[in-house]
This record gives sequence, structure tokens and C-alpha cells, in this order.
Amino acid sequence: MTTYAYYPGCSLETMAASYHVSATEVARRLGIDLVEIEDWNCCGATAYSQVDELLAQVLCARNLALVEQSGRTDVVAPCSACFKNLSFANLHMQDDGDLLEHMNYALDADGLAYSGSVRVHHLMGMLVDEVGIDAIRARVTKPQEGLRVAVYYGCQLVRPHRPGQGMQDVEDPRFFEDLMEAIGADVVPFPHRLRCCGGSLIVTSRKAALAMLHELLRSAGESGADLIVTACPLCQVNLELYQAEVNREFGAEFKMPVVYFTQLMGLALGASPKQVGIGSEIVKAGSVLACRGAATP
Amino acid sequence: MSDPKRLLIIDDDPDFAGAIRSILIDAGYETDVEYNPDDGWHALEKGGYDLLLLDIMMGRGAEGVMMARKIRKDPVMREMPVLIITGIREQIAFLFPGQAIHPGFVPVDELMEKPVDPDLLLDRVRSLIAAAEARHSKAD
Amino acid sequence: MTTTLHFDQEVMNLLHAAGGEPLSTCIQCAMCSASCPAAPFMDDSPRRLIALINADLRDQVLASNTFWTCASCFACTERCPRGIDPAQLMYALRRYSIWKGVHREDLVGPDFSRRFVRTILRNGKSYEPGYAPAFIWEGGFPGMVREVQGALRLLRKGRLPLIPSRIKDLDGFRRMIGRIIPLEGFE
Repeated sequence: MTTYAYYPGCSLETMAASYHVSATEVARRLGIDLVEIEDWNCCGATAYSQVDELLAQVLCARNLALVEQSGRTDVVAPCSACFKNLSFANLHMQDDGDLLEHMNYALDADGLAYSGSVRVHHLMGMLVDEVGIDAIRARVTKPQEGLRVAVYYGCQLVRPHRPGQGMQDVEDPRFFEDLMEAIGADVVPFPHRLRCCGGSLIVTSRKAALAMLHELLRSAGESGADLIVTACPLCQVNLELYQAEVNREFGAEFKMPVVYFTQLMGLALGASPKQVGIGSEIVKAGSVLACRGAATP
Repeated sequence: MSDPKRLLIIDDDPDFAGAIRSILIDAGYETDVEYNPDDGWHALEKGGYDLLLLDIMMGRGAEGVMMARKIRKDPVMREMPVLIITGIREQIAFLFPGQAIHPGFVPVDELMEKPVDPDLLLDRVRSLIAAAEARHSKAD
Repeated sequence: MTTTLHFDQEVMNLLHAAGGEPLSTCIQCAMCSASCPAAPFMDDSPRRLIALINADLRDQVLASNTFWTCASCFACTERCPRGIDPAQLMYALRRYSIWKGVHREDLVGPDFSRRFVRTILRNGKSYEPGYAPAFIWEGGFPGMVREVQGALRLLRKGRLPLIPSRIKDLDGFRRMIGRIIPLEGFE
């Protein structure tokens, strides 16, 4: 059994609990042990950098130090924003000795230290790069045939790019589609798959966020998708919880379920809908899954 | 009369840095200004400063703390007195309502809060330089 | 070592540790604006904001809602042909305006940032209900009703906690923060 340190992030404890449940279920079925970091803290989201980047940096440094302390070398984050923050904080410390030294000075006050050794993965990146799409395909017992999915990357899963990542991966990535095809789903062309959901603008600039969500839902609807599949709690909550408000604001009638990729993967690997947290959506996904034969036992 | 003392200001606020620079120049000090920690460090590496006036909130955040610590680790630079002049309370005090700045925390000789009184500033500068000179002559 | 500093240099000093090229190298091609999904809601497009900075129009820049309307999607940063990093620029301008306490009164972003950061300093973790309700007034009473409806939907699905989650080692956590920001004590 392969073991990874696991950084759930704040959303997975609350609004995105079904992501946590399904991620754990998928990992278990693939023989991967996700061990939650003991006493992890918030990654800083986007708010910290606009007050003090060093403060944002030290929040991530503490989590990485806890991973190192546990003796693990790799950490997995399911939330794209957490992934972006942890991976870039890590890169900055690896590149800048003064910064690493200063972070250690702060960590020392908490009885911790960090050498810069940890590798940070997005949950999807870990599954695609480390487990491998072919290996996942081989484990599928219930292919999600006939289920038309709009694959939604959003932003921070791929942007900003990391060293060694090609331009192709940023402007025209394929790994998410490949993964969904490997579990038998029918990936529809979704032109807005890399366009931002608005992130925290839903709080700070509501009009802008609703318009951005409207664009995404329209594009996904026109693509003929049964549902949108995401890899980020912020995208999921924005697209789903605020769908009713988009409908009101734009006179639209979207009823587009938005699920996590791990929920579909779990079903394909033989889990029951309940085991992957289906049922906690605001826009019900159960019926479309059942109707496509994807979630029937 | 000995050579004029050389001071360096590292502060990202051009208006503030300009204002205290002219106070210090009027008082007979040779005074340079750098506006970010990188340029500031390069200036310090060239050496020859008798005192550093250092801001806290610059660039990414509280980089003045990082810099003061780096100076204290350098065997040559550590001999130079450091006076922190900061507006941190105004800048990010909303984080810690009603709390004091902790001057002893940063490894510097003295801490002043913006806005500064010109006479008080000159007084501090004079006494810090005098104390450093006294230390040196004792060591000799 | 001039006594006056051009505003674009002042802004670049905030970015001294970031990788982006100087704003002065901007060729005004507007790739950033074209890539920006939030641009229609900005007072000034990202391209125009950079032009204002380069023209030394500090007050006009600070009065703009542009950098508070950035969603941090990094599309501009990926595509700028000159290697400028507009997304980091937006963060830097937010920092600048928070530190100086200068921003448009009607913006939600600055207050949201402050509350969010305070929440994490208090708990070590973020807690959505703690800061969300303060911003629903933006939509007036109907907006508040809608927000409450949304919250109830989440509650019913067990997706909203009633008490904030806290990390265990809060003392150590705060001591650590206290070494980054040299202020004494918390709470």
C-alpha cells in the first residue's frame, strides 16, 4: 500500500465533505493510504497574500513541516487553491534560502522545522501521474457509460504553471478528460473548461461572479452535458450553490448537477452512491446518474 | 571636524523616505535611500554605513524583520546600529486590535513608530551612533 | 537614488521578490484584458491599469476597483508576451492599498480580506459562516434572504458547520505568526 500525507483543507471539512469522502474511498479502492496531516492549518486561501505574503508563506510552511515531521515525502491536496498555495510556497522556499531560513525561525517557535524536501501533488495529479490512467482503467468495474460529462479544470489546478510543465498543459490540458474517459464517461466538448468560476468574487464582487458562472453554465448546457465534473471545492460550491441565483439574475433554468471527479471515479471503481457522498448536492445528481445507469448497483 | 556620518534608509514609501532624508541631510548626515529590501541589501554589502533606518512593511510583507535578522547574522554588518521606523500599527494592526508592537522582538537597537518627530529622530540617530562608537573604542 | 520615485517603480518594489518583468516593458497589447473573465466588471481593464501605473497616475490607480475584481485565475500571467505577471500585480496593489488604508469605500474586498485573515489567526482554520454574513448586505434585504436560503440549503445537507473548527496547537501557531509579524500577544 502506497502512503501519502493528506491535506484536506478547510472546505473539505465543511462544504465539500463529499469530496473528502469520495477521495478517501477512491484512494482506498486503489490501494493508496491517505494519512491526514496531524493538526494542519488553513493554507491562507487568496486573502493572505493581499495582506502579507510572508504570513501566507508561513501558513503553508507549517503544513509542509508537519508532513516532514511525520516522515513522509509526498503530500496530496484535493483543493486546487490549497494545492496552488502549498506547491508555490514550497517552490519559493526551495529557491530562496533566506526565505526558508526566515520560515524556520518562525516554525521554531512552534517546535517545527522544514528542510524543503516535500513533494506537493494535487489529488488528481497524484492519481494521473503516480497511479497512472491505465492502472485506473484496469480497476474499473462499473464504467460510467453514457454519462455525458463537462470536464471543468477551472484555474489553479493548472495555472500558474509549475517548472517543467509545458505550455500545452496550461492552455490545452488533456489529463482530466483522459481520466474521465478511462472510467468510461462520455466527455463532451466544453469550451469554457479552463475559464475561471469567479472564486472568492462570489463574496467580494457578486455581479462579476454571477456573470462568470452564467457563462460557464451556459457553455456546459450547450455542450449537452448531463453534469459538470470538478476538482476544486470552490468551483463546485460556486457552480452549484449559486446556480439558483444565476437563474434568477439571468432568467435561466439551469439544473446542472456539479460533482467531484472522485465521486464518479468511486462509482466506476464499484462504490455505492452513498459511499462517495452522492445525495449531499443542492442540485441533485442521483437521478441523472441512475438514469444513465451509472450509479445503479 | 570628522567626516560626516553615512546613513542608509530602506523604506518603500518614497514620500516618507524623502522627508526623513531631508531632515537628516539638513542635520549634516550623508544619507542614501533604497526602496526595497533587495536594493537595500546590495547597498549594505558595499558597506560604510554608520546607521541603518529600516522600515518593516515592504515588498511581500514584514520584510524588515527578515532583513534585521539577516544583518544580525553578518559578522561585519552586525556592528552597525539599526533603527526601525515603522507604520506597522497603522498598516496591519487590524489583525491584532488593541495590541502593542513588540520592539524587543526584532533584533534592532531602537524602534520608532511613524509619524516621527524630527527632533526625536535626530536625537535617536545621534545617540545610536555615539553608542556604537563607544562600543568600538572599548573594543580597540 | 532620486528623491522622487515614479509610481511604476514604487509598485515594482512591492514585486521585488516575484519573477515578473518590469511593468515599463508593457507593450499595451491587451492580451491580459482579453484573457480576463472579470474585465467587464473592472473600472479599468488590466491593460489600462498598467498604462495608468506607467503614466504615474497613482490616485487614479488607487481609486480603481480593478485589482479588487481580480479572481486570481492567472490567465493573464500565463499569456503575457512580455513576461509581466499581472495577477501578482493585483495582489501587490491590494497589499499597497490595505497598508495605506486607501481604497474605494464601496468595495467589499478589503474588509473581506481583513476578516478572513483575522478568522485564521483566531482559529488556524477558515470558517465560512464567520465572515460571509457581513457581506450579504450588498444585495439589500432580498440579497440577505437569498443568502440565508443558500445557507439553509447547505445546512440541510450537513455542509455548514455550526461551530468553527480550530487547530489544537493554537498557542504554538500564534507564536509562529508572532515571529513573522512582530506584534505581541493575541486576543
